[in-house]
Amino acid sequence: MSNALRTTTVGSFAKPDYLQRARNRHSAGKVTAKELDGLTRQATKEVVEVQKELGLDVFVHGEMERGDMVGYFGENLPGMRPGELVRSYGNRYYHKPVIASEVRWDAPVTVDLWRYAQSLTDKPMKGMLTGPYTIVEWSFDEHYGSRREAVLAMARAIHHEAEALAKAGAKYIQVDEPAIHTRPGEDFDLAVEAMGVVVKGVSAEFHTHICYGDVPKIYPGMLRLPVTQIHLAFKNANFELLHLLEADPWDSKKELGLGVLDVHDHHVESVEEVKEGIKHALRLVPADRLWIEPDCGLKTRTPEEVRKKLRVMVAARDEVRRDLAL
Amino acid sequence: MQTTVVGSYPRVSNGPEGQRLRKAIAMWERQEISREDLRRVQVDVLHEVVAEQAAVGVDLVTDGNITWYDPLSHFAAKMDGLQVGALERYFDTNTYYRRPQRVGPVHWRGPMTVEDYSAAAAASAAPAKPVLTGPYTLAALSAEGASEELVMEFAEALMHEVKALAAAGAPHIQINEPALVLRTDLPRGYNHIAGLVLRGKGNAKTTLFTYFGGVGPMLDDLLMLPFDVLGLDLVQGASTLKALAVTDVEKGLAFGLVDARNTKLEDPKAVAKAVLAFKDRVPLDRSYLAPSNGLEFLPRARAREKLEVLVTAAKLVGEATA
Repeated sequence: MSNALRTTTVGSFAKPDYLQRARNRHSAGKVTAKELDGLTRQATKEVVEVQKELGLDVFVHGEMERGDMVGYFGENLPGMRPGELVRSYGNRYYHKPVIASEVRWDAPVTVDLWRYAQSLTDKPMKGMLTGPYTIVEWSFDEHYGSRREAVLAMARAIHHEAEALAKAGAKYIQVDEPAIHTRPGEDFDLAVEAMGVVVKGVSAEFHTHICYGDVPKIYPGMLRLPVTQIHLAFKNANFELLHLLEADPWDSKKELGLGVLDVHDHHVESVEEVKEGIKHALRLVPADRLWIEPDCGLKTRTPEEVRKKLRVMVAARDEVRRDLAL
Repeated sequence: MQTTVVGSYPRVSNGPEGQRLRKAIAMWERQEISREDLRRVQVDVLHEVVAEQAAVGVDLVTDGNITWYDPLSHFAAKMDGLQVGALERYFDTNTYYRRPQRVGPVHWRGPMTVEDYSAAAAASAAPAKPVLTGPYTLAALSAEGASEELVMEFAEALMHEVKALAAAGAPHIQINEPALVLRTDLPRGYNHIAGLVLRGKGNAKTTLFTYFGGVGPMLDDLLMLPFDVLGLDLVQGASTLKALAVTDVEKGLAFGLVDARNTKLEDPKAVAKAVLAFKDRVPLDRSYLAPSNGLEFLPRARAREKLEVLVTAAKLVGEATA
């Protein structure tokens, strides 16, 4: 695998209708856990097949078992209680969990399905975790009453999960922190400290994903995050965030995940506009440290839109490699 | 003491019936139902949330902002001179809005909230209060930020909206200015801006509501503005309590003392006690008890329980001051 402009995705894929129906029926007690697990694996296999067909470099398992990135941990970490629906934007809702008592980690949450997905391909399969700052920020805290205490307790729990993924063989582990810039002045140091707790002593390459917030307020401070790669959503604002890197150079040791597909727009990008964004980024980050990805998880788009958008992404990457002889 | 809400209300609840609006929007986006079909569901849910507030005993209700995509683009998409742009986090919440971008002079094109206000008023036994996002917040959260020129353009556009709401019979109109909490002083000329927005209000009472933080350093200036009621977030903006403790207030306040961002339920007695601490400094008979901000950050059932806390606390205040 060439290291120039590697491709991957951010985590979630759209759930097929049969799985969504089964999840609804499971909630109503009409589908057993075993039946749902079978369909979850079937859908996971389909996600892996799509990535094979598209020729991506590093795979994800698609998060078919998760309602959303925070609610899932709310359902599975001791100390948390599944929540009820609240809106996140537009017509999107999630089950916002409640931190009801001391957060703990008793057993692996994500490893089983990761192991299954990895068994379906020789390509590396990313372990997918939500970061401690984001889980706390997007939950109701009825227990700690102190963000610092809650975030650090959550970091310890997520650290155990990262350790379990690494022991199972995950080479890449992504720790999503889309809420990291919620209070940039007040809390950013806490989020960095928490990421340090998550990754400490874990033998894997860590990526983090940050999107849709006040990125300028945490750049270049974000380069202090103890991870190999930081992924940002660039396409949503037509790559205007790249101007930040023109003012303050990207840390040469870190990889940049370049979001090139707007996952909140039905419009399928043209190969040309994606190429333009990649070439712009290449003036700021060397090709072996630049990864090409969508802006965010793909679950917001239909399976057909996902295929079309990812095809454009891969075609643009291939053309840039050819154009620049990378 | 009366009770009111700040604006938004959860638009879905558990169960298939509770999620009919979510489903209808998804179907409309897939072009499986018409705009009129969607509107019918929106109005149905709007009626439901208005009835829910009134049933709990809220004295001044809102339409729940049920039809708003978000507090910015609901207005930006309906005014001339603006485009709706990239997704941005809405203050320090877990919600997002589409950032307005000025592409020409901003003008009022036509009513943006009147239809929903009328639907709420028709369905409610209690008076309904339309809510508008204020000119400073619209400008501050836009792509270019709060230039004086843009704030003024929004103020002129909102003046027409206020006039249209007053003409439709709104007895009380509220301007929400959460972006003021990001400052330590009022924007230059804000008194004039507020006067412009309210120029066509007729006999309607008016409230200015600030939330997502405190406004202690500018409390005196806020109290001088030409609104009948000043709404304050006293949970996330608990710092304002200090300034309030040394201020004699002549106008009504909306005490945002019930946390609209955490599921933990308050003790009504503690809420009442917090209000009663101001009984000698604030005219409680012209004041309201309110959540700290819009209730849509909570699950539906918990939002209703928070309203019950409000109503019980207001009764306790009433008993203590009778």
